[in-house]
Amino acid sequence: MWIICFRYDLFLMEKSCYNKIGDFMTYLDYSATTPVEDAVLESFVTVNKTFIGNPNSLHRLGVEANQLIENATNQILEILELSEKEIIYTSGSSEANNLAIKGIGLKYQNRGKHIITTAFEHSSIYGPIGYLQTLGFEVDFVKTLKNGQIDMNHLKSLMREDTILVSVTAVNSEIGIKQPIEEIAAILKNYKKCFFHVDATQAIGKLKLNLQDVDLISFSAHKFYGLKGIGCLIKNKKIVLEPLIHGGKSTTIYRSGTPAVALIASLAKALRLIYENMEKHYHSVQSIHQQLKEFFKNFDRVKINSNDNCIPHILNISVLGVKPETLLHALEEEEIYISTKTACSSTGESSKAVMALTHDEKRASSSVRISLSHKTTQQEIDHFCSCFEKNYKKLTF
Amino acid sequence: MKIIKISALWCPSCILMTKVFNQLKCKYPTIEFVEYDYDLDEEKIKKYDPGKVLPVFIFEEGRELERMIGEHSYLEIETKIKRYFNEKDV
Repeated sequence: MWIICFRYDLFLMEKSCYNKIGDFMTYLDYSATTPVEDAVLESFVTVNKTFIGNPNSLHRLGVEANQLIENATNQILEILELSEKEIIYTSGSSEANNLAIKGIGLKYQNRGKHIITTAFEHSSIYGPIGYLQTLGFEVDFVKTLKNGQIDMNHLKSLMREDTILVSVTAVNSEIGIKQPIEEIAAILKNYKKCFFHVDATQAIGKLKLNLQDVDLISFSAHKFYGLKGIGCLIKNKKIVLEPLIHGGKSTTIYRSGTPAVALIASLAKALRLIYENMEKHYHSVQSIHQQLKEFFKNFDRVKINSNDNCIPHILNISVLGVKPETLLHALEEEEIYISTKTACSSTGESSKAVMALTHDEKRASSSVRISLSHKTTQQEIDHFCSCFEKNYKKLTF
Repeated sequence: MKIIKISALWCPSCILMTKVFNQLKCKYPTIEFVEYDYDLDEEKIKKYDPGKVLPVFIFEEGRELERMIGEHSYLEIETKIKRYFNEKDV
């Protein structure tokens, strides 16, 4: 027991390099979730112990807690260079996406019932859109170009008088395709009745984005070394939403309940920390990405699905003829952790996103995602490469 | 005689095909169209063994005549309708 506890302590100190029993591991699933930064966790603990009041309470302890939320909100908006926006704190991106889509759909359905989205969204975008479809909303998918970016001309041609929402992910979670958010926002500015929602979950903390002209922005802290259980929806102050959780005014009318003060403070802290060295981190990830891309050229059956329009943090490949689950579990045996599709995608034999990009069923049914971090070490990459080569030979024999 | 659709809210192909399904529903009001949710109607769809690829369209008349899986054009599904349903029925 003592050994397990000791090694668990090691795991906490060395973060991503050891599993919970202290063995060396290679974690390459950072787009699913990231390990929390010590400073973020410390901040969470300190705020939990220090600010015990309910932010909704009128007494001093409540006011102090409420003030801390306000400070965190201002800090987040300042880091993201956003003005005239407000933040609704949620349990994560899935809730934020649901609040944005259902909130707009239900509130503005008298204006129109037409929604536009893409083939590269997360299931927490399709879920609420599918739900609105059951209420009579019409949905169109905008076509994409060869590099995965949305076709602006097709977007313009899909826009109607009754289009009330366009929802586009800034970075696709499976392949890493970036969308030209500023360009889309510029087009949508001409449609006064239409709101623009961006799921920025895979973008925040990795890329610097100009999101000022976006009406609604969702993201989650655990994708940039924050804690799981906290995310937010940032919206233009003037936009009114139908809440998902009713129950009276809290710090916002859009989500009733006692705000999670320490989680909110920890989100601001994680964001501040990741923004401090974002450019340096980007280049470090880019270098590992390039190294892996070169490595995969040695294997005939490996096709690289991520292209130059993708963020370097995600490298999606297909090993033709090998089931993604088989490769995942073979690597897992070697303490290497990658993923098949996204951690949140549900059933289905092949990847919809890879299919939409490559139009190749073989590639779509054999794709895996390797997601990288500035924390990924050369030792981990070497371990991955040697184990991949060994298993490739076994599985393609 | 009926057409059964098994789909899920989170599935983009299902969102795409719901549009086609609704158009067919309008065009063929005498055909019985039944919709099941993959997650919420788990018990009801067990007998159809829908598998993992959605949506699933099942043409049924006492027994299963044919099933179509995944994305299909309006025309492809309409062709099946015309094959399995007598003109007087539709």
